[in-house]
Amino acid sequence: MKAARFDYLRPVDCAGAIAALEDASARPMAGGQSLGPMLNLRLSRPGCVVDISRLPELRRVEERPDGILYGAGLTHAEFEDGAVADPTPGFLARIAHGIAYRAVRNRGTIGGSLAHADPAADWPTTLAALGARVHLAGPAGTRELPVEAFILGAFETALAPGEIIAGIFVPRRSARARFGYRKSCRKVGEFAEAMCAVLVDPEGDVQRLAIGATEARQLVIAEAGTAINSPEVVDDILRAAGLAADPATFRLRREVVRQAIAALATKSQPEGQPA
Amino acid sequence: MVAQGQDGERSGGAKAHKGVGASVRRKEDARLLAGRGRFIGDMRFPGQLEAAFLRSSLAHARIKAVHIPAHLEGRAFVHADMAGVKDILAKTGLPGFRVSAQPSLASGKVRFVGEPVVMVLAENRALAEDLCEEIEVEYEELPANVDMLRAAKDGAALIHEDWAENVFLVSSTEKNFDETLKGAPIQVTREVRTSRQCMAPLEGKGCIALFDRTVEQLTLWTSTQMPHIVRSGLAECLGLDTRKIRVVAPDVGGGFGWKGLLQPEEVCCAWASLRLDRPVKWLEDRREHLIAAANCREHHYVMTAYADTEGRLLGLEAQAHVDAGAYSVYPFSACLEGAQVVSNLPGPYNLPAYRCRTYSVCSNKPPIVPYRGVARTGVCTAMELMIDAVARAAGLEPYEVRQRNLVRPDQMPFTSITGKDFDMGDYPESLRRAFAMIDHQGVRARQQAAEADGRRIGLGYAVYCEQGAHGTSVYHGWGIPMVPGIESCGARLTPDGTLEVRIGSQSHGQSMETTLAQVACEVLGIDPELVNVVHGDTAMTPYSTGTWGSRSAVMAGGAVASACERLAGRIARIGAHLLQAPLEAVTVRDAQVIGPQGSVSFREVAATWYLAPQNLPADIDPDGLDLVAGYRPTVDTGTFSYAAHACVVAVAPETGEVEILDYVIVEDGGVLLNPMVVDGQIYGGTAQGIGTALYEEMIYDGHGQPLASTLADYLLPGAGEMPDVCIAHMETPSPNTRFGQKGIGEGGAIAPPAAIGNAINDALAGLGAEMTVSPMTPRRVRDAVEAARQKASAESRSVGGFAS
Amino acid sequence: MKPIRLSVNGRDIEVEVEPRQHLADFVREELLLTGTHLGCEHGVCGACTVLIDGAPARACIAFPVALDGAAITTVEGLADDPVAARLREAFMAEHGLQCGFCTPGMLIMARDIVLRRPGADDAAIRHELAGNLCRCTGYIGIIRAVRAVAAERAKAGEAAVVTRSGAVAPPLHISPLTLPVAPARLPDGQDARPGRSEDKPAAGAGFVPEPLRNPVELVQDFEVPASRAQVWALFQDPAQVIACLPGARLTAPSDGRRVNAEMLVKLGPIQAAFGGTGVIAADPANWTGTIEGGGVDRRSATRVQARLVYGLDELPGAAATRVRVEVAYVLQGPLAQMSRGALARDLAARLTAAFATNLTALLRGETAPAQPAPLDAGSLLFSLVKDWLRRLFRRA
Repeated sequence: MKAARFDYLRPVDCAGAIAALEDASARPMAGGQSLGPMLNLRLSRPGCVVDISRLPELRRVEERPDGILYGAGLTHAEFEDGAVADPTPGFLARIAHGIAYRAVRNRGTIGGSLAHADPAADWPTTLAALGARVHLAGPAGTRELPVEAFILGAFETALAPGEIIAGIFVPRRSARARFGYRKSCRKVGEFAEAMCAVLVDPEGDVQRLAIGATEARQLVIAEAGTAINSPEVVDDILRAAGLAADPATFRLRREVVRQAIAALATKSQPEGQPA
Repeated sequence: MVAQGQDGERSGGAKAHKGVGASVRRKEDARLLAGRGRFIGDMRFPGQLEAAFLRSSLAHARIKAVHIPAHLEGRAFVHADMAGVKDILAKTGLPGFRVSAQPSLASGKVRFVGEPVVMVLAENRALAEDLCEEIEVEYEELPANVDMLRAAKDGAALIHEDWAENVFLVSSTEKNFDETLKGAPIQVTREVRTSRQCMAPLEGKGCIALFDRTVEQLTLWTSTQMPHIVRSGLAECLGLDTRKIRVVAPDVGGGFGWKGLLQPEEVCCAWASLRLDRPVKWLEDRREHLIAAANCREHHYVMTAYADTEGRLLGLEAQAHVDAGAYSVYPFSACLEGAQVVSNLPGPYNLPAYRCRTYSVCSNKPPIVPYRGVARTGVCTAMELMIDAVARAAGLEPYEVRQRNLVRPDQMPFTSITGKDFDMGDYPESLRRAFAMIDHQGVRARQQAAEADGRRIGLGYAVYCEQGAHGTSVYHGWGIPMVPGIESCGARLTPDGTLEVRIGSQSHGQSMETTLAQVACEVLGIDPELVNVVHGDTAMTPYSTGTWGSRSAVMAGGAVASACERLAGRIARIGAHLLQAPLEAVTVRDAQVIGPQGSVSFREVAATWYLAPQNLPADIDPDGLDLVAGYRPTVDTGTFSYAAHACVVAVAPETGEVEILDYVIVEDGGVLLNPMVVDGQIYGGTAQGIGTALYEEMIYDGHGQPLASTLADYLLPGAGEMPDVCIAHMETPSPNTRFGQKGIGEGGAIAPPAAIGNAINDALAGLGAEMTVSPMTPRRVRDAVEAARQKASAESRSVGGFAS
Repeated sequence: MKPIRLSVNGRDIEVEVEPRQHLADFVREELLLTGTHLGCEHGVCGACTVLIDGAPARACIAFPVALDGAAITTVEGLADDPVAARLREAFMAEHGLQCGFCTPGMLIMARDIVLRRPGADDAAIRHELAGNLCRCTGYIGIIRAVRAVAAERAKAGEAAVVTRSGAVAPPLHISPLTLPVAPARLPDGQDARPGRSEDKPAAGAGFVPEPLRNPVELVQDFEVPASRAQVWALFQDPAQVIACLPGARLTAPSDGRRVNAEMLVKLGPIQAAFGGTGVIAADPANWTGTIEGGGVDRRSATRVQARLVYGLDELPGAAATRVRVEVAYVLQGPLAQMSRGALARDLAARLTAAFATNLTALLRGETAPAQPAPLDAGSLLFSLVKDWLRRLFRRA
C-alpha cells in the first residue's frame, strides 16, 4: 500500500514546529522509522507531517557537570558509533547497537523512540533504568519529567497537544558503574517478549531496575538493592505488578530479570558487538 | 576453410571442465548484482494503468451491494462487468471430488478475507488505492469456517452451497491392516498439527497485460513459475484461442509454489487490458500477500503407530485433515496436498501395514497452493515425531529405531506400501553419516552433565525421501488440468556458432541459465558462457508444465541434453562435409567437429550453414541447425532423492528460547549438475524449514481474520536465525535419468521441522514435556513446560503429596 | 508538490515531489533506477536499502520531500565502487544470491558492514545482516561472501570507516537513467475527490441488524442519581445516548427508532471514522431496550458490529437507578488484522466506562458532553492494536 496524501512542513525552529503542531491533524516526524510504515499502511493519515529532524535544538549535545543533555533528534547510530559523548561507561552505545537494524538505527532517533513509547523498545526501559529525564517543549513552555513519569502506558505518553520532546538528559555515572541488560526476542532485531535493565553504581549508591515489554509502562524500581540481591523479591514485585497471572509468562519475566541481574557481573556484550 | 588445431577459446570450447558436475559460477549473477535484473515491477508501458483490488474484509459473507460512485465508471469493475469471463476451474478426475468455481472477482459471496471484490484502475497504485476508499461493499455475514476439523462436520455453514459438506475430497488407502495390530506391544498415539503459512517470496506476484496489435496477441508479463500453464488457463477463462495469448515471465523474485498457479488477478488484468485497450499492471504488495495468500502447510493428524518391542514398525494408522481453503486452485487443485499425505506419510520406511484417511477440507481461508516440499513437510513432521515417540515408548535410541525401519539398499529398487517406486539409494547409510557428523555420542555425553546456563540440550533426526520430476504415470490418474509428459527443448546454433537453448520451464533462482548451459557444455563441449538459456516466454519456448515438483534438473536438463545431441548430429554432418571426412569418422567435442585430419569449429559450421550455403553439398539435410527435441526418463515415476537431517538444539525451559547449535544434512541428489547450486538449494530450503519449525505462522481469529499484515508480525528467519548448516553428499546416480541426476529443489524444506521438533522434545524429555504443534515458538515451549510441571505436581500430590 | 534538490548517484537533480511518495518509488518510477526493490514497504525486509548521505537506510519509509539536499546512492550508483565490486565477486564465488530480488539491498548492507567492521566474524555478520531478509539462499553464501571481504580488508590493514555522513564516489559513467523523466501521476488537482454519488441508497434505509457471531462481550453496572423514568426517557432519546459516547455524533436526525451516527477514534498515529446505522428497540414493560448497529470505517473498510442491551432497576427510594449495560461487538477488516485479539475487551470496557460517566453527568444535570472528544491515545481501538504496534515499531 502507498501512503494517503499528506502535506509537509519543515519549520526552521522549535517554536515554528510547535506552532505547526497545534493543528490537530499534524504529526511530527523525526527519523520516520515508526511513522513511515504507518503512513504506508494508511493507518496514519496526518493532514500534515511536520519534519522536526533538522531542528538545531534537537541535534545538540550539551555536557553538564552531572550528565549530558541530548537533543531528541540524535540517531541510534550516533550513539552506537560513539559519535556523541556518553556519561556512562559505554552503556548507551551498547544498547543502541541492539536496536532493530543498522539501516533503521541510521535514521531512527532517541526522541522518536521515547515519543512512540513502545513498552518493548530498548530506549524507554534503558533510559528509565539510567534515571534519564525527558525535556519537553510545547505551547505552554518547557518542562521536564523522569522517563517513568513521561511514559504513561503502552504507546501513551505525557506529551500534550503541540508538545514535542526537545531533549533527553542522561545522568553521569562512574567508571565503576555496571549495567545488566537482557531481552528475550523471537528473532534478532525483533520486538522483545520480555526485557529488563539494571543499573548499579557503587559511587552514589545507585541501584535501579526497570522491567519492560509488559503490557503497560515500564516497571521501575528506583531503590533496587534488595531486588538485585534476592530473587524472591523480584517474584514479589512481578506479582504485585500483576505480571504473574499466567505462570509460563511469569517464569519468562522472572528469568529475564534474573539474567539481567546476572549480567551485571559478566559485563556481557550484546550479540555481534566487538569486545 | 578448415581450421586446424584451434584452441578451445577460439573454437568456443570450454577449457576447464564446465560441464555436468562443475561448480560453475552463475551466469545470472552479474545482472542481478548490478541491480539490472528485470522484474515485473521494473517494467512499464506508456499509458499503463495500475490496479488495486478492494478485497473482502470478511471471511464468509454474501455481497448485498457494491456502491461505486458514478465518477469511477470505467475505472472500477465488479464481477458483473466481466460478463463472458469464466470462473477458474481446477477439477480433478478423482471420484468424489467436489468442484469449486473460483470467480476472478467475487460473485455473490466472499469466501475468504482478501478475496478480490472490485478492481480499481488508476494512473498509479497510490491513486488506485485512493479510489478504492470511495467504494463501499455491503455484506451479510455468514459463519466463518476457521477450524478445519469443525468445518468438515455436519452443520457447518456451507462455503459452496451446492455441496453436501465442506470437503473437497476424502482420500484413503488401506493395506495389510488388520485388527491383530491392536495386540502390538507398543502402541503410540499422537495428535500433530502444523500451522498455516505464507510462502513469502521476497518479490510478490505481479503482472502486466497488454494487447500486442502487431501479432494480435494478448501478452501477459507475469511473475510466474509456469508460463505455458498460465497461458492455457487464461485462454480457458477468457474464451480465447490459446494462440491469441502470449505469456512471458521476466526475472522472477522467488516462487516456492506461490507463483505456480493461475491467479484471479491475472485474469482481471488481462480482461481489463482487452476491455480498455490499455496496458494494465498489478503488483501484489506485502500486505496483500500476507492477508490474502496465507495458503499452505496447515495439516492435522491423529496417528497411531504399532511396533514390536525392538521398535520395528508393525503398522500405522492415520486420520489427517488438510485445510485446503476456499477454492481449488488451477492447475494443482485442492486435493494434491491431501492425496500426497496419503501416499507419502510412510516416508522412507518399510511399513508392513498401513491405513490412512485424509480429508481435504474447504475452509474460509485462502486456497491452498503447493509450497516447496508440498505435503511432505507435514507428513515428515508427523511421521518423524511418531518415530521418536515409538523410540521413547520402547526405551530405544530414536536413531536405532530409524535404522531398523528404513528401506535397505539391498531392497532397492523398492516399491513402498503406497506404491512409490524408490529408484536407488542407501537410506541407512545417510543416517549413519549424519550420526557421525553430528557427533551423536558426544552429544549424548554432554547431555549427561547439566549445562552451566540452565539450558537443556537435545538431539533430533529426520529422514525423508523426496519424489521429484513426477511424470505422466503419476499425474494422469488425477485428471487435473496439467499432466507432465515429454519435456521439450529448442536448440539453435546461431550464425556465429554460439548456442541458444529454449526451455518451457522457468528459472527464478534455481540457476537454470547456468546449469542448463552446463548440460549443453557436457554434450557439445561449448563454453557455458557462449550458451543462452531462453526461458519463461511461451512465444519463444516449447510447451512445458513449468517449474514445480523438483523437476527442472531432471526434465529440462534431460531435454537440453536430447536437443544438444540431436544438434550435434546435424553439426557433425556439415562438419564432416567441410572436413571431407566420412560422417562415422568425425566426433563433436569442445565445440568442434573433429575428424581424422583436423577439426572445424562450430563457428565455421554455423557460418557455412547460414552465410555460405553455396559451400554445402546439394544433398544436405535441409532441417538445419535449429530444432526441438523431447525427453522423458526411462521410468517416469519420478526420482527419489533423500536425506538425513540431524540437529542439536539448546532449549531454555524458562524463556522457551530455542537455539540451533549444530545442523547437518547428508543427502543424495544423485549426480549433481552443479554442486554449488545444489548446496544453495539445500541451504535455502533448510532456512524455510527452520521458519516452519520455529517462526512462521498465520494466526486467524474466530472470524477468519488473519492477524498478521506485516513481516514484523509474520516472522521469516533472518541471518541470525540460520545456523551454519553442514552438508555432505552421497551421489548415488539415478538409473532412470540422463545424467543420473535427481530432483532436489524442495528437500531442504521437508525435514527441518521434524529434526528440530525431535531435538526439542529430546531436550524437554527430562521435564516430561512433549510438543506436537509447529511452529514451536517460545510461547508454545513455555506452555508445554508449564503443562508438564503442573501434571507432575498433580501426580506427586495424588501419589503421596510430598514435594520433590 | 514540493520542490527539492537531491544528488542521486552523483548527479544533482531538482524536482518536484509529492510528499507521500517514498524514496524507493521515487527512484524507481521517476528516475527508472529499478535496482532498488520493494519487498514489504513497512521497513522490515531490507530489499529497498539505499545509502542516504553514505549510510544505509530503508528507501520505503524515507520520503524525498524530507530529504532535500541529501545524497542518495542506489545499487546502480555503486557500479564502480571498489568495495562493492569486491563484494560482487565474493557473492558470485560463494553463491550469495539466487533469485536476486533481495540482492541490491543485501549488497548495500554488506558494503556497509565490511567498511564499518573489517574482520567481522560470523556472529557479528549475522547480527548486522539481521535486517535484510532473503528467502532463497539461507544466508550461508551471503555470510561467507561478507566474511571473505571483511577478512581481506582486515588483513590489508584497512581501518574501520564511519559511513554515517560519508561521501560515496559516483560511478564513472553516470547512467542516463538518472535523468528525471516525466512523472506518471496525475497533476495535482485533477484527481481531487468529488463528493459521493447520489446512487447510494440513503444510509440505513433498509438496515437490518445481523446476528453477532463470536462477539466480545462485557457487562457494566452503574448507578445514576435519577429516577427510573428519567433514565428511561433519556435512553429513548438517541441524540442524548449518542452524545454520551466519546467521539460519536448523529449524522442525521433520528426518528427515535433508527440512528445514523459516526464515531471518530484516534489512537496514537491511527485515525478511524466509523459511520453506521443502528436500530433501537425498547421494551417498556420490562424497562429494557436494545440498540443494535453496524458501521464501517470507509477508508480502511473495517467493519464493526455492536449490540448494547440496557436494563434499568429502581433502587430503594426511587431516587436512583441501577443501569446494567451489556455490550457485545465484532470488529473485522484491516484494523482487526493486526492484533492478537485479547486486548479488545480492555478498550470496549473503557468505552463503556466513559459512557457510564457521561450518562451519569447528564442525569445529574451537568452539561451534556456536547461534542465529546474522541478517546485519544490509550483508548478505544488503541488497545486493540498495541500488540501489533509493538511488533512493527519496537525499533523506533
